[in-house]
Amino acid sequence: MKTFAALLDKEICALFYSPIAYIVIAVFLVLMGYSFTMTLFLTKYATLVHIFFQSAGLLFLIVPVITMRAFAEERKAGTLELLLTAPVRESQVVLAKYLASMSVVFAMIALTGCYAIVLAIFGTPDWGPIYSGYLGLALLASTLVSLGLLISALTSNQIVAAVITIGVSFLLWMIDTLASVLPDMLERILISLSLLARFTPFATGAMYTSDLGFFVSATLLALFLSMRALARR
Amino acid sequence: MTAVIVADNLTRDYGVRRAVDRVSFEVGPNEVMGLLGPNGSGKSTILRILAGYLRPTSGTATVAGFDVLSHGLDARRQLGYVPEDVPLYTHMRVTEFLGFMGRTRGLYGTSLVKAVDQVVERLSLGAVRSLLIGKLSRGYRQRVAIAQALLGKPKLLVLDEPTNGLDPRQIIELRELIRSLARELSVLVTSHILAEIERVAHRAAILLDGKLLTVHRLTDQTNRRLRVRLTVNDEATVRSRLRGVAGVSLVEALPARGNYVLEYEQRQADAVRALVQAGLPVEEVASYSSGLEELFLRLTEGTPQ
Repeated sequence: MKTFAALLDKEICALFYSPIAYIVIAVFLVLMGYSFTMTLFLTKYATLVHIFFQSAGLLFLIVPVITMRAFAEERKAGTLELLLTAPVRESQVVLAKYLASMSVVFAMIALTGCYAIVLAIFGTPDWGPIYSGYLGLALLASTLVSLGLLISALTSNQIVAAVITIGVSFLLWMIDTLASVLPDMLERILISLSLLARFTPFATGAMYTSDLGFFVSATLLALFLSMRALARR
Repeated sequence: MTAVIVADNLTRDYGVRRAVDRVSFEVGPNEVMGLLGPNGSGKSTILRILAGYLRPTSGTATVAGFDVLSHGLDARRQLGYVPEDVPLYTHMRVTEFLGFMGRTRGLYGTSLVKAVDQVVERLSLGAVRSLLIGKLSRGYRQRVAIAQALLGKPKLLVLDEPTNGLDPRQIIELRELIRSLARELSVLVTSHILAEIERVAHRAAILLDGKLLTVHRLTDQTNRRLRVRLTVNDEATVRSRLRGVAGVSLVEALPARGNYVLEYEQRQADAVRALVQAGLPVEEVASYSSGLEELFLRLTEGTPQ
């Protein structure tokens, strides 16, 4: 446990000592703030549904920037060799990087909570969809982070890691658009893989355990595969 | 005494290329073992297998009795590893980095502070302890890398090409350090520079194309040898004339014409004087350290570099 704490400290420091975390959070909040204000002025509805969808869209671009360095940078600099020859488990290394990346994403999402506060002060929002929307964003972010870590574990080039993560995430986001032209069986599989189809209920205030299970198992699977990718040496 | 490293038929393939081919050797407690070989002969791969970074394709290795595969965590606790080109976290400060590496080795609280202070003092890092690693010179980085490897008092120190990029003074200091460390732990060190291995190691393993050709003992006795060039080119004559010289005997005739290796018991100057006084036609005298150079050249003869 103490070893894990050391790894987690190191990862969090690496993210928050560099300007990356702050720039990413700042850019995210500027864009979201602009969008929130404009939409509120135009629609006058006390809801965050559009904010959840826009945040999700931005996460697809921002999460790969956070995760691309995780393993790729260490592999290129050679420090991965130092890290993995220390008496630590691969699972601890992966988990520490996952939690550190999630801490940046959580900070980012949590700060958008001020929009909900604004709505509460000037209106009477329906809190159900807001809670479920935030839960959906957290689950989606968790899946994207673990996917980003997996791809970073497979390469020593950060740009390659980021671009492939963006590509794969977007493909999974909209994979259900392809479904309608495919046979029934494949259609069902593709729809069940679609991040958009899984996220929409959360953003609009409906929660299904199957969607929750999907995000949790996708996260666990990607983390497990990252571990295997590290162990394959 | 049980061996600190036991490598048994270690083999590692990279795709179709066999980088390490059935290599077996042992390293005893407080022993300095050198792995010597041209670039690409498999030295680093062997170290990486022992350090748990690479898995062997076949064969086994144990560190302090722990199998590097099945008991990898325990094996790695017994070992400090300094990879080639000393990769370090350049954004960390020296003590911050040492603290982190110490924590991964299970040190914490006052024992961590004490361990870090000890290695900082041992490696003379006091002046740079609060500097960013990225700002340090190559020599200091090397020392920081060795310092982290010594945290947690491992039984084995593994150094991959430690003299790369060091200036002559730093190389001499490193040599002294390895010698002094050997009083507390075993050291496995690689180099493609023969003289380095010759100076620090008790034994040298010579590798070529992934195969272990031989393990050569560099005993103290080999330091009591002379290489002489005589005008006589007949081993029997030299042998008979040496009978009259007390304390000096012939070890071998070298392939080069008139070159012999002699062993002496007295001080070196006295041995040379005795040779001259006995009337041997000495043209040239040189210290002959270990015979490693000849052995290495003989074993790697005919291989393209």
